[in-house]
Amino acid sequence: MKPPAFDYVCARSLDEAIDALGRRPGEAKILAGGQSLTPMLNFRLAHPGMLVDINRIPGIDAIRDDDGGVRIGTLARHRAIEVSDSIRKKFPILTAAAAHVGHLAIRNRGTFGGSIAHADPAAEWPMLALLLDAQIEAKGPQGARTIPAREFFTTFLTTALGDAEILTEVKLPALPAKTGWGFEELSRRPGDFALAAVAAIVTLDGKTIKDARISMGGVGGTPLRAPGAEALLRGKPADAALFEQAGKKAAEESDPSNDVHATADYRRHLVSVLTRRALTSAAEKAAQG
Amino acid sequence: MSPPALRIRCARQAMAARSLPFSPLIAARPQKEFEMPTAGPFGAAVKRVEDPRFLVGQTSFVEGMVLPNMLSVAFLRSPYAHAKIRSIDVSKALALPGVVRVLTGEEAIKRCKPIRVEWKESKFEVDFKPCDYPAIAVERTRHVGEIVAAVVAENRYLAEDGVELIEVEWEPLPAVVDPEKALEKGGTLVHEEWGDNVMLHSHIRGGDVEGAFRQADVVVKGRFAMNRHCAAPMEGRAVVANYDAAQNGMTVWTSTQMPHMVRTKIAEALDYPEHRIRVIGPDVGGGFGLKCHIFPEELALSLLTLDVKRPLKWVEDRRENLYGSYHAKDDICYAELAVKNDGTILGLKTKFIGDVGAYTSYPWTPSFEPLQAAMAVPGPYKIHHVHCEALAVATNKTTSSVYRGVGLPAAQYTMEHILDLAAAKIGMDPAEIRRKNIMKSSDFPVTSVTGLYYDSATPLESLDMALEMIKYPEFRKEQEAARKQGKYLGIGISAMIEMTTFGFEYWRAAGLKSVTGYDSAHLRVDPNGGVTLTVGTFNHGQGHPTAYAQLVADGIGCKIEDVTFIQGDTQMTPYGWGTWGSRSAVAGGGAVIKASEKIREKMFRVAANLMEVSAQDLELKDGKVQVKGVPGKSMTIREVAQATVYTADVPDDDEPGLEASYYYKAPTPYANSTHIAVVEVDPETGYTKILRYVVTEDCGRMINPMIVDGQIAGGVAQGIGQAMFEHHQFDESGQILTTSLMDYLIPSCADVPPMQFGHLETPCPISVGGIKGMGEGGAVAPPPAIANAIADALAPLAGWKPIGRLPMSPEVVRRQIA
Ligand SMILES: Cc1cc2nc3c(=O)[nH]c(=O)nc-3n(C[C@H](O)[C@H](O)[C@H](O)COP(=O)(O)OP(=O)(O)OC[C@H]3O[C@@H](n4cnc5c(N)ncnc54)[C@H](O)[C@@H]3O)c2cc1C
Repeated sequence: MKPPAFDYVCARSLDEAIDALGRRPGEAKILAGGQSLTPMLNFRLAHPGMLVDINRIPGIDAIRDDDGGVRIGTLARHRAIEVSDSIRKKFPILTAAAAHVGHLAIRNRGTFGGSIAHADPAAEWPMLALLLDAQIEAKGPQGARTIPAREFFTTFLTTALGDAEILTEVKLPALPAKTGWGFEELSRRPGDFALAAVAAIVTLDGKTIKDARISMGGVGGTPLRAPGAEALLRGKPADAALFEQAGKKAAEESDPSNDVHATADYRRHLVSVLTRRALTSAAEKAAQG
Repeated sequence: MSPPALRIRCARQAMAARSLPFSPLIAARPQKEFEMPTAGPFGAAVKRVEDPRFLVGQTSFVEGMVLPNMLSVAFLRSPYAHAKIRSIDVSKALALPGVVRVLTGEEAIKRCKPIRVEWKESKFEVDFKPCDYPAIAVERTRHVGEIVAAVVAENRYLAEDGVELIEVEWEPLPAVVDPEKALEKGGTLVHEEWGDNVMLHSHIRGGDVEGAFRQADVVVKGRFAMNRHCAAPMEGRAVVANYDAAQNGMTVWTSTQMPHMVRTKIAEALDYPEHRIRVIGPDVGGGFGLKCHIFPEELALSLLTLDVKRPLKWVEDRRENLYGSYHAKDDICYAELAVKNDGTILGLKTKFIGDVGAYTSYPWTPSFEPLQAAMAVPGPYKIHHVHCEALAVATNKTTSSVYRGVGLPAAQYTMEHILDLAAAKIGMDPAEIRRKNIMKSSDFPVTSVTGLYYDSATPLESLDMALEMIKYPEFRKEQEAARKQGKYLGIGISAMIEMTTFGFEYWRAAGLKSVTGYDSAHLRVDPNGGVTLTVGTFNHGQGHPTAYAQLVADGIGCKIEDVTFIQGDTQMTPYGWGTWGSRSAVAGGGAVIKASEKIREKMFRVAANLMEVSAQDLELKDGKVQVKGVPGKSMTIREVAQATVYTADVPDDDEPGLEASYYYKAPTPYANSTHIAVVEVDPETGYTKILRYVVTEDCGRMINPMIVDGQIAGGVAQGIGQAMFEHHQFDESGQILTTSLMDYLIPSCADVPPMQFGHLETPCPISVGGIKGMGEGGAVAPPPAIANAIADALAPLAGWKPIGRLPMSPEVVRRQIA
């Protein structure tokens, strides 16, 4: 479990990093927190010819308020998100989910952008980016662009980013008033990747569901939204039977597979339970807020 | 007045345990002829002297060793479960700058005999087939992870690059993966010369089992599949081998539990003089049975250092540890239990099928797993009619061998879980059916129906104590109330008797010549009264430097801190068998006590001579040798030591010097315990949380109760691993799927509940010092306690249903009711 040899570049600016990546297209990889990349190197699952370390680039780890929402710099550590007051106020669902991202030691190093770029379907940040309709900003040799989360995650561990593109910042747009959230995850042990996870937000208009969003992790090649279940909820009064029904619908929309920890059938069952629980909790919070 | 034969100690829950109501029971117990000391170093809960340096990282693990000119070794391992090696081309690897040497099986076999265990005669009814296990595979590989070549290079990175450059032409063969299919005729054979895949077959019979079953009101049956798992110590295996021209010999540092055996086997395999090999076991970061073997890697590095004449290092990485070192405890058990409607157990039939993987490990052979399960399965219960069958079946999987508890977990799971099944069938409470059948202290000694001599134990007393500590009746009320609120709580009991030490007679009876049940201690007192203790056992976390020092202090009157502890260096320590099988407290401790006695006798002779009194009139008191009842007339230990070693003021017919050795043929004492778990199950997801956990334990006289508690707690953590997390899985082609700790799950501190311990102390009548072993029971008893608790929690939803496979992942639990 020792990596093969690679060249190493420590970039001091985004442009320097982009330049380095462009010089070895397809061969160079960005090193952020290293919590996913280093194990892959050590297992020799990845053989990059060059690592471009972005940890010394100043200013790309900021968490900033923006127009009622927040902007999270790619290098913001999981732990920084977990303890950020501004996130706790605006997106408490992130604060809650952060506790599920690995263990403290991993959260101290791993980065928000690294997790989204790595695009593990069972990881928390990608599924939340999808839930919150995040705007993912990237910079490459051709300049900067913004990619909506819905278009970002293409297949298993694969994103819309180009070879020499760097994810720079993620914008989470403000949530409407009367919106509550629910986050439900089941893993074998605390800190493990989810067997299944469901995040939901519900916006109420009186007792009626004005809008609902559901995002599922660990039950497909990418994080998934559950458009059918979301449609089913919209415009209906929030109640237990409806949430149960939405859970079943979301389960149908999930696409899990078997692995050593659980079968696809069980994961699908989990989606229905966790969706119901997440929606129930989201609706309760929405009613209070 | 003699002290009570049973002393109750209860850490954490001191008050609760002391107020237990069964003192009448204790008083009724016949007193053993044994003086239970009331105070002193033997029995004191002193902190471990060795811990501070570990806590600040002042350690000597193999990984940290640096020798001049040291090279690194990496192994190419088989990617196939079963395959022919058509050809190996190492030229590209050798051409890589930094690669020094590549060794393949064809070359190694000429100079290194394969590992092999012969087992011909035995007092047990066993039919065993040996096989050759080469250090490096020759022509054929029999499991994923088997060594195919060794690459020596300037560093580990280059060695692994070299491994990637070796070109092997493989011819994959069909693999035997399922042990039950492996028993069918006409399939693939792991070892063709056997004619089948059965490594060991054994029957253990007692009483008239068919007759007993005819009398039964109810017969319950089950199939219980244990999970293949592994010891996964924090430090994997690791070896440094160094040919030393000055010595014309080699030194091998290895992360082992048995340094002397390792030396003997390297000498035999390489045909190299044993006295020119020095094996050193440095600090070892966990072993749990995995490290009590001679390993191919140890042989390969020894051979290679003789070739390259430079020091070589190999440190097992986690992936190698998970697929290339040994697995364990992969048993399927079929069981039938015959009971009467009043709960009386009439008879038991079991068949253990152990999937033991590809080769015979040395010195145990993997077959001890199912064999021991079959011997131990009746547990602490009065069962007089049994038929227990054991089969060790070879498959194309990683070799399986001994790991904490060896066989007992399968036995324990089977007996304790089927007992609850029987209780559910006849509508009896699980505590009640146990109280009805379990043995009590006055039933001992007794020879079990499977032929084991139980010297002494307190199963009923331990059960009652555990029920009291968990507040059993109150829990049943709490459970009722919780159910009304949609919360599913359950309670599960697991009572066990624990074979410990595996002493001299045990191995004589087994007839396995590769291992013997004695151990050794040597004591030397210096002129200033300092003591050097060298032993043949091997501490790798069990607290020997402290516990043995307590025994020495007790035996010769010195202070614990006056004892220097040396182990694990074959050049400096007496021959011994290392540490495994809950043996060191009894075998090593017994030797230490006996050697201390010899020293004490000599001290008394010398002091008597100098003080002009009779040695019979002397006693050890407050660190002095004094005339009984005359505190003024005494000599300090140091004065006696000076007189004996320095100035040689010894009686005319005595030698100067204060040294003694003892080689102790250890007995096989039995400890016992009861575990009770309380769980909460989320029936919708199957997610289970252990809320409370109680262990009551009787391991004879405790040398250090704090260490006993630590052994139990660590054991329970591993038992929870077996119960809920750990599982090596393979696909149909024999490919292992669990080669990282992301897929092979071990419990973390967040998964282990707080525990409460209660202690009973029944001095062992057959061991020196009244000591019993207790190192493994903690890991053995948890799975059925947890399974019984889960089944109990879910009973209102779908009736009481046994859980037929481990680990109890959320999915397995959920499937109990859906
Ligand atoms: C034991 C363990 C448990 C874990 N458990 C969880 C868990 O429960 N949930 C969870 O979500 N994660 C978990 N992780 C993963 C962890 O969150 C990682 O930190 C995260 O997945 C990757 O972020 P990183 O900063 O470490 O990225 P790195 O490992 O440095 O990089 C990961 C990948 O992303 C690319 N990359 C990184 N940054 C950028 C960028 N700015 N632009 C473009 N590409 C980039 C890299 O090139 C690489 O391919 C766990 C990790 C470990 C070791």
